[in-house]
Amino acid sequence: MQIDNALILKLEQLARLELSEQERKAVQGSLNDILKMVEQLNTLDTTGVEPLIYLSETENHWREDVVQFQVAKKAALSNAPLANEDYFKVPKVIDL
Amino acid sequence: MNQSIIEPPLASVYDLYETVIGLEIHVQLSTQSKAFCSDDARFGGAPNTHLSAISLAHPGTLPRPNRRHIEFAVRLGMALGCNIQRTSYFDRKNYFYADLPKGYQITQDRQPTCMGGTLTIPIGNAFKTIRFHHLHLEEDAGKSLHDTDSRFSHIDLNRAGVPLLEIVTEPDLRSGEEVDALMTAMRHLVRWLDISDGNMEEGSMRCDVNISVRKRGATTYGTRCEVKNVNSMKFARRAVAYEVRRQIDLLEKGGKVIQQTLNFDPQTGITTPLRSKENAHDYRYFPDPDLAPVRLSDAFLAKIKAEMPVLPTDLRAILIKNYQLSANDALILTEDKSVALYYQQLASVCPPVLRKAAANLVIQKILPFLQTQNIAIAHYPIAHTQLIDLLQLIEDGKINASAAYQILLPALLQEPQSSTLAMAEKLNLFQNTDTAWLETLIQQVIAQNPDKVTAFRKGKKGLSAFFVGETMKLAKGKADPKILNTLVMRFLNT
Repeated sequence: MQIDNALILKLEQLARLELSEQERKAVQGSLNDILKMVEQLNTLDTTGVEPLIYLSETENHWREDVVQFQVAKKAALSNAPLANEDYFKVPKVIDL
Repeated sequence: MNQSIIEPPLASVYDLYETVIGLEIHVQLSTQSKAFCSDDARFGGAPNTHLSAISLAHPGTLPRPNRRHIEFAVRLGMALGCNIQRTSYFDRKNYFYADLPKGYQITQDRQPTCMGGTLTIPIGNAFKTIRFHHLHLEEDAGKSLHDTDSRFSHIDLNRAGVPLLEIVTEPDLRSGEEVDALMTAMRHLVRWLDISDGNMEEGSMRCDVNISVRKRGATTYGTRCEVKNVNSMKFARRAVAYEVRRQIDLLEKGGKVIQQTLNFDPQTGITTPLRSKENAHDYRYFPDPDLAPVRLSDAFLAKIKAEMPVLPTDLRAILIKNYQLSANDALILTEDKSVALYYQQLASVCPPVLRKAAANLVIQKILPFLQTQNIAIAHYPIAHTQLIDLLQLIEDGKINASAAYQILLPALLQEPQSSTLAMAEKLNLFQNTDTAWLETLIQQVIAQNPDKVTAFRKGKKGLSAFFVGETMKLAKGKADPKILNTLVMRFLNT
């Protein structure tokens, strides 16, 4: 698989990034290098080998359903770039 | 909308098509805390007051599943006859939106906890079984308010992380009516199972409706469109009606339906594309490494099974078969689980011959009373034994039914601690079955109305009601109507 310019543009959109022409070239190079490495891994026969997803052996690490007060509104809003007394504020996002 | 459009004739082009619908139903669960952190999960609350570092997606935080989220999923899965998976996983669904602080939603993509399942729903006078593809656990996003400010959207994250179940049907529905019936049955079921309040107005239940059309007899499906976030049965019906017409019109003009996500506007009654094609979402699901696999033990499943209430359809069958109730009575009594339990308890201490009367009592007297007083059936003031005594008095002919319901029952509601028998005595409601006494009263009435006796004997048989009524007046309502009637006929016919 080759990372071409069209795919870079799609990835930009998915990642909400805007790259310069120069950055695009650099990213294209790195991504193609990574894919090459993965393709090499792909040559190994992994039939019957369970994928390693979790590095811990833990299962069912559940909580009981109990409410604990955590973060006050003022503290929660204080880290936001934009907020009023009650809400986080973001540039208008209506899907049209 | 153009009201002057002439309705198409019966054999219109629309009849050549079949509608195919699948639903994704989102149910917000009534847990105390959120799906992966301990913030308050309840609806309402001042904006941005149910928060934690996890729901705010601060770096370095780790989610932990809520045991009850998993239990509720299994409870609904068992009720629908799903294949409960011993091992299931959480995955990340990636997309950017201002009310999704992590940039992904935790959901189940590879292996949901419940697979398959069915629910049989009433459609008109018949029943139809709807198949499910699967049920999966996920979390809700926050809420965006777009109308409060001209330049900014306001974000409330109270709902971010609230536990949801998504129920995905097979494309088994064929009309807006069937969508309505399934949503109604599902709402009833989640309430019955105590896993959600099923409140559509507050968004506890909403659905995405996937709609396509195809020529009748076709074996492949048409291209579908998805109407997002429908939060009322009425809107669901209207959205389906509009969309079916739009798609058929398009096909008939030689066009093609494009797969897209639509928004239904209840104001205009039309659907409009929600997202343009170049923004088509690519969710890039992958396993969430922060969340360990869910493995369900025999003991865990056995406990949930043991705690399952009798399901409404099973209970209805029991009421009809064992208690000889009509299908309609059984339906009314199982509309609400607390009412069903109440009736079952009442009927279990009731002589079998009175069970039907007990059902009538609950439906005709108790339910309306609860409604006007706005109280729960568990708080109905009169004890079961008192109610059964009342039914027995009617059954034995000791009190007539209208006196029992119009005088005795209201009196007991005023003084619930007094016994039914003492109250009936106090109100002097016992019918007199002393025939000698009744006979003297009948003789009085006959003596006072010789002309009517003659008329009766000449053939005006309807006059017997007059004699019964007059005698009952003299008896101050305390005569057993059956006995009185027999005696009056005997006197008039001799």
